[in-house]
Amino acid sequence: MAVATLPHAQTADHGEVDRLYAETRDLRLNGFLLFLVSDVVLFSSFIFAYLYMRNTGQGWPPPGINRLDVAFAALNSVVLFGSGATMHYALENWKHGNFGRYAGLMVATIVLGAMFLCGQGYEYTTLYFREHVSWAGSGIFGASFFTLTGMHGFHVFVGVWYLTVLLLQSVHGVYTKQKYFGLTAGTLYWHFVDVIWVVLFSIFYLI
Amino acid sequence: MVEQRDPAVKLDRGFWIVTAVLAVLSICGIIFWYAVPLQHWLPESAQPADQVDALFAFMAATSTALFVFVCGYILYFSIAFRARSTDAPDAIGVQIHDNHKLEFWWALIPALFVILLSVLSVKIWWGIQIAQPNNGMVLEAIGHQWFYTFRYPNVKGEVPDEMHLALGVPVTLHVTSSDVIHSFWVPTMRLKADMVPGLINTIRFTPSAVGTYKIICTEFCGTQHGEMNKQTVVIQSKADFDKWYQATQAAHANMSDALATVSTGAINLAGGDAAAGQQLFSQKCSACHAVGPFSQRIVGPGLKGVLDDPAHPNLVDGDKATPADVAKILQNGFKGDLGVMPNQAQNGLSDKDIANLVAYLASLK
Amino acid sequence: MTVAAVHGGGIADHIHPEPQSFIRRYIFSIDHKIIGIQYIITGFVFLVLSGMLAELIRVQLMHANGGLVSNDTYNEIYSVHGSAMVWLVIIPLVTGGFGNFVMPLQIGARDVAFPWLNMLSFWMFPVAGLMLFSSFLIGAPVAGWTEYPPMSLQAGPGTSMWCAAIFLIGVSSTLTGINFLVTILKMRAPGMTFTRMPLFVWAQLATAPLSMVATTALAAALAALFIERQFGVPFYDPTKGGSPILWQHMFWFYSHPAVYIMILPAFGIISEVLPTFSRKPIFGYKMIAFSSVAIALAGFMVWAHHMFTSGLAPFLQLPFMILTFVIGVPTGIKIFSWMATLWGGKIHFTSSMLFAIGFLALFTFGGITGILLAAVPFDFHVHGTYFVVAHFHYVLVGGSLMGIFAGTYYWFPKMTGRLMNEFWGRLHFWLFFIGFNGTFLPMHWLGILGMPRRVPVYDPQFQGWNQFESIMSFVMTLGILIFFANLLVSIRNGKKGGANPWNARTLEWQIPSPPHYYNFKNIPAVYALPYDFSEPLPYTGLENELTDSPAPATAGAH
Repeated sequence: MAVATLPHAQTADHGEVDRLYAETRDLRLNGFLLFLVSDVVLFSSFIFAYLYMRNTGQGWPPPGINRLDVAFAALNSVVLFGSGATMHYALENWKHGNFGRYAGLMVATIVLGAMFLCGQGYEYTTLYFREHVSWAGSGIFGASFFTLTGMHGFHVFVGVWYLTVLLLQSVHGVYTKQKYFGLTAGTLYWHFVDVIWVVLFSIFYLI
Repeated sequence: MVEQRDPAVKLDRGFWIVTAVLAVLSICGIIFWYAVPLQHWLPESAQPADQVDALFAFMAATSTALFVFVCGYILYFSIAFRARSTDAPDAIGVQIHDNHKLEFWWALIPALFVILLSVLSVKIWWGIQIAQPNNGMVLEAIGHQWFYTFRYPNVKGEVPDEMHLALGVPVTLHVTSSDVIHSFWVPTMRLKADMVPGLINTIRFTPSAVGTYKIICTEFCGTQHGEMNKQTVVIQSKADFDKWYQATQAAHANMSDALATVSTGAINLAGGDAAAGQQLFSQKCSACHAVGPFSQRIVGPGLKGVLDDPAHPNLVDGDKATPADVAKILQNGFKGDLGVMPNQAQNGLSDKDIANLVAYLASLK
Repeated sequence: MTVAAVHGGGIADHIHPEPQSFIRRYIFSIDHKIIGIQYIITGFVFLVLSGMLAELIRVQLMHANGGLVSNDTYNEIYSVHGSAMVWLVIIPLVTGGFGNFVMPLQIGARDVAFPWLNMLSFWMFPVAGLMLFSSFLIGAPVAGWTEYPPMSLQAGPGTSMWCAAIFLIGVSSTLTGINFLVTILKMRAPGMTFTRMPLFVWAQLATAPLSMVATTALAAALAALFIERQFGVPFYDPTKGGSPILWQHMFWFYSHPAVYIMILPAFGIISEVLPTFSRKPIFGYKMIAFSSVAIALAGFMVWAHHMFTSGLAPFLQLPFMILTFVIGVPTGIKIFSWMATLWGGKIHFTSSMLFAIGFLALFTFGGITGILLAAVPFDFHVHGTYFVVAHFHYVLVGGSLMGIFAGTYYWFPKMTGRLMNEFWGRLHFWLFFIGFNGTFLPMHWLGILGMPRRVPVYDPQFQGWNQFESIMSFVMTLGILIFFANLLVSIRNGKKGGANPWNARTLEWQIPSPPHYYNFKNIPAVYALPYDFSEPLPYTGLENELTDSPAPATAGAH
């Protein structure tokens, strides 16, 4: 693989600096994983609240509220999972030095993420204007659905910006073929957002 | 390894003397808790209270023994092994790291104690939660800011101030709240249940001593929470209770739970369509009533098995649970302290609708 | 033995130059020692403030009809007192304070894993504290530190402020948990295997995941309460289909582990103080270390024992009851091990040691009443009464706060280079110990006999004991005032302590007091547990620490 395609590619430098980098990356990776764990707990708490309210209520969805549109949400999920795949291959290509393909896949990821957000926005407006389901006005259904999917949507929103920043940083040579912790963190975050969506999709649309 | 560095442990005579003294003190403590049980300080007024007291005596006695030993040894070691002025400044203690035999025993003994305590607690828990007779009088206590009211079978409206009970007649008490969380605690009964809005909690007991006992709210409920300790439970002999009960029934005869609109006579319930009733229920009723057990309250109680639930032989207005009486509530509405159920006209129900609803409710088993 | 976490070189030897400006050095510092001291100072300030609230409570309760303040003001006072003591005093002091100052020194690290994150965590803490106390201006929360809805949904705007403040301190606590966990797992000196770590580090290792996981669950509960109060989105309001019990589940899923966040580091402090002043190895090192972890794990599975009377399905009560009993076993093992540490020692009764011994007695008592409360039938009787108030004050004041005092006397010389006055320290101990027992012991029988908690007025039959308690609480407060006077005077005028005034053996005592910015000139290697008084110190590479040899070279910016 052509190292030279990477901007500011670093020549092999095994020494104090590399060891320092390896250890810093190790610490940051651990810290970032623990941050994701605590984020999982945050989602889990709200999911627990949703399941608790769902089980103490009278049937789900509560009387007067229609079932959610599974087909559209499934389509939207495919968009999000697709962005997970492009993200994965973006990082792989970076590791192998294919900067061009990396950039393309990153752009694809960002666009797919934004498309997912638009889809969610469409779903929200449909619910609000056609079905008159709102956050505060539709009892525990509105509360749990909009809070959880909204939290997830916020994570996607942050992720889209985060990936954009990473892309710009990599264009400006912040990362090298050997040193790309920011990209690893971005990938982890994006996969985390995907996995959370698998759970949310199952508990809101499938059961 | 570390174990080999450890010197042999020799316990001197002082240790055994102290142990003997602590054993005597512990036994005194144990005797104290059984000689002066809790009911000496706080009388008992209902049947499971004696079981709670037995559990307390056991726990207090064993804890006292444990505490005496721990503190006694700490005090003794502190005195016996203090650094003295004659010691070299760099004198060190006996370099002992651990003793597996000792650690095994002091892990095992608390573990055995935990098993014993669990068995005893579960047994008494069973006596309080499960084994109480459930064929007794069914009462309701409702918490408000900042007082309690009570409902009796076949007594219209709510009884304020005192809760009357008959000696020896088992009671099934449902508690709930009309506003925030309260708690229903009668210290002499050793029983407590939180009054949670939207939920009905149940305690069962049998009054066992005539007298007047305080009811205390133990869950913070607002400005005058501290003053919510003025009302009482009055436990009377069966004869006195019956006298009070009849008098109250008579006094409340003119009180009506129904709203002002008068019913238009009995409705023909024949031919009610449960399926149509179900649809109607989800439109008109489900905002306030769950299709769940009685205790699952939204505004009104859960209605699953409303005509079929042995735990609730009476409807909330005190009448027997028959289809005709359910229809009567649907016709007239009901003014509970937790909320108002609209009557037939306000709900926009036809007579046929009511028949369908009753058929649906009867189908919920 | 394998040597884990070997660092020679790399990040462990990587030193940034010490900042020279006052602001970067003492205000927005990224040095864990300065941050630890900042936590301790801020925590003590809040201790004084919420201690004053406690005295207002006791003055109000001097008379059965109250009379000092109105009912609503009283409710605000105890709610802020409880919240502040838990979130602004004990948790920040034992984790952010002592954890920050001591833990990196004890594992032979130059700093925590993420120094900037550490600074950020700290600065959230005073902001959250100011928010909580300023809620008095707009009507403070009234429903106690537990803030059960629907009461907390109806209360004034201060309750939303409370949510925001506790959320903020929760984020701070979560970040500190992540930071400490990575630090302990990844940055230990060469040779410091898990079974060679000092017990205070073990305690922090058991606490960090609790702060990380449980606090996030609380954040969710708080966010929901805030949203419901501000935007009317129903989670807890039963008239809109929500459930007040849901809050209790989410709150206690955090708050029971929070009890261990408060007590485990205090266990760690006691496990350092006892061997040092007994001149003996800690008895049963592994049992103490592993029981901390066992307690932390089990702490996640017992939350509903706070909810026995609130409508938990009867059969759910049993597992929670029995699991709570089971926690008594590792706790008992710890207490017996500490007791055995005293046996055969050469005990020096410094102020620190007095507090450690007092801790043993009071914590044992509080632990036992905890077992009593866990028994469902007895809990039906005493839940929500002064018995509960007595129990958790024995654990949190007699336990955690005594641990904090022991730790302060113990590590003050390391922080400042000077000793605190021993005479006033001992007086502090005796006034505090006697005053504490006088204040809280009678609450046990008041609760059993029928005094509910959170009441501004009460049944006149309890007035005698309440007056006794109030008077004893003044004795306790006098002790604390003496402590603060001693602390302030000793900072400038205390006797010089040198590097190791206690002859202690953990790593932080082998370097100058106060330590250099970079902690260690060379990162030492560790080859055994620190507690063997008959052996030479189990460290190599510390020869130059107390000499005038030059500081290690600093790396440039990168």
